[in-house]
Amino acid sequence: MTTAIERTDALSSSQSLQDMLTLPWKHPTIVAGVPWKNPVGTASGTFNVEACSRFYDVAQMGAVSTKGVSIIPWEGNPTPRTAETPAGTVNSVGLQNPGLDHYLANDLPMLKRMGANVITNVAGHSDEDYIQVVERLADKPCDMLEINVSCPNVSHGGMSVGTDAKALHHLIGALRNITDKPMIVKLSPNVTDIVGIAKAAVDAGADALSLINTLVGMRINTTTGRPILANITGGVSGPCIFPIALSFVWRVRRALPDIPIIGIGGISNGDNALEYLYAGANAVEVGAAALLDPIAPLRIARELDDLLDARPELAEKLAEGRTW
Amino acid sequence: MSTQFIPTQIKQRHTGPAKGSHDASDICRCHEPSEGIVVNGESYLPARRSVPIVSVRQLDQGVIELVICDRYMAEHARPAQFANLFTHDGLRLMPRPFGICEICGDEVSFIFAIVGAGTAQFAQMKAGDSIDVLGPLGKTFDLTSPDARYILVGGGLGVPPLIQAAQYLHDSGRENRTTAIFGYRKHHFADSIVGQYSDDVRSIDEEQGNVITVLDSMDAELRQISDPVVILSCGPTPMMKAVAFWASSRGIATQFNLEERMGCGYGTCVVCVVDTIHGRKKVCLEGPVFTAQELGWESER
Ligand SMILES: Cc1cc2nc3c(=O)[nH]c(=O)nc-3n(C[C@H](O)[C@H](O)[C@H](O)COP(=O)(O)O)c2cc1C
Repeated sequence: MTTAIERTDALSSSQSLQDMLTLPWKHPTIVAGVPWKNPVGTASGTFNVEACSRFYDVAQMGAVSTKGVSIIPWEGNPTPRTAETPAGTVNSVGLQNPGLDHYLANDLPMLKRMGANVITNVAGHSDEDYIQVVERLADKPCDMLEINVSCPNVSHGGMSVGTDAKALHHLIGALRNITDKPMIVKLSPNVTDIVGIAKAAVDAGADALSLINTLVGMRINTTTGRPILANITGGVSGPCIFPIALSFVWRVRRALPDIPIIGIGGISNGDNALEYLYAGANAVEVGAAALLDPIAPLRIARELDDLLDARPELAEKLAEGRTW
Repeated sequence: MSTQFIPTQIKQRHTGPAKGSHDASDICRCHEPSEGIVVNGESYLPARRSVPIVSVRQLDQGVIELVICDRYMAEHARPAQFANLFTHDGLRLMPRPFGICEICGDEVSFIFAIVGAGTAQFAQMKAGDSIDVLGPLGKTFDLTSPDARYILVGGGLGVPPLIQAAQYLHDSGRENRTTAIFGYRKHHFADSIVGQYSDDVRSIDEEQGNVITVLDSMDAELRQISDPVVILSCGPTPMMKAVAFWASSRGIATQFNLEERMGCGYGTCVVCVVDTIHGRKKVCLEGPVFTAQELGWESER
């Protein structure tokens, strides 16, 4: 069976894994003062160092954004947590994570030992939760923070902060007071005025923005008439959200010409990543594609690196951390 | 108990003729084997790759056996490990995880039911087509006890990992140590397959009873056995829970191969979790094998 949709070919790169892991990178970027060896990072929640480092050298990525970490361990949502949807997936993990102590004892030291550029993605149910995590990370070796105010799958905190400009301004201002680390704020698409939200984050001291997190969605099993996800709704990601996410990045870039932006959503190849750069992103993160192939983020980074050869102006801007 | 498996030396690997079409061996010969690689002293597993299909055949109404050629998987897969299979359909991207069934030379077989559009597409594939795979994934049954009697209790489409366990025990010279108890809805579609590796197949279908009926009938026999008895089981959760209850009331050790709805299948997304006495575990990475004790299933009915 063939469809009109272009195949997301996991093996489209002609490069061998050997080359992907060893060739020098030609087109670096800078995000909020932090050098990335290429403009492609892994997105939070779809990267786990123990799982992924069995397949590739995670230090080859521009950066890796780790799973949302909370001050204490979170159990997450009941199962089933995933449902397929055309050209995408709906998930409701509910930010299950083993907590900050575990992260500091295991994931972070392992990543730094491997030489990765680490973005620590921070989760919380309340301002106080976020503050405690960010405070404890102040002197830890993570390179950047990504404040997740956009998870649609937790009942308190998460997206409720990221959809309210005032609440967001308050939280980011409080975090700015306690950390000098480059701070990315990860935005939700589940809002009517993305520019207003983005401005609130930047006014309060965000060093960069990443967008988008998942869109709220659901699927129903028509045999039972019941929702497939135990949590009923989840977050939609994958190629089906690509054009939506791209337009969010473009709208924020048009309104805020100077803030570093990381584009996220539905990237499955180097050309998709390039579209984000043209829309005004300084870098991208790859999420759901990594669920289809562990080395997808690395392959996409290699494809983009080659595509940038023919676009020297864009590559030069990237290298200087400049935007549009 | 740890389910991390320490491979014992395999005495004799099953090397019968390819089971697919006549040109199956040609399909395999033409294919360049995938391999893990070593870079700067670090070794990496092979990621997703395209491999040839050797055969696709129907075993029963809506039940399909699909055989691929992948030397890496054939050499490295152990019982209860699984592989992600991918459709060619740009709308159906997510991996379909299937338990690894038989291994013959470079060929690896899977058995699955057509339950939706993705599995229907696999069923339409033909010998010589290519399919994307990732694996082997997950941990394995603990088969390290040299003198144990293994009872393989499977229900419906839960039989493939048990067939692989039977084959593994057979190929490591322990063929007289297994009893296969497979429960079917109607047709006993896997009996002839597992029968190659186990000379004691006691299957049952819904008209005759269920796997507990067979276990009950073995009660006296099992009491006579002085060797340790280990039950390996895979199938619908209510069946596995009934097996756990049956076994624990008799002090028999159990290992269950769980099938939870998965995201990535290799431990990165935290979608396929199960509650254990040690907290929530990832089925794909920390499982799919868990003991009744770990699952808290010993006293559940
Ligand atoms: C299984 C899963 C878990 C996720 N967990 C997180 C998380 O912990 N923190 C976060 O900020 N985003 C999380 N996300 C959102 C992704 O980072 C990303 O923003 C989104 O999936 C869109 O990108 P994609 O289409 O490339 O997947 C998760 C996404 C998925 C699919």
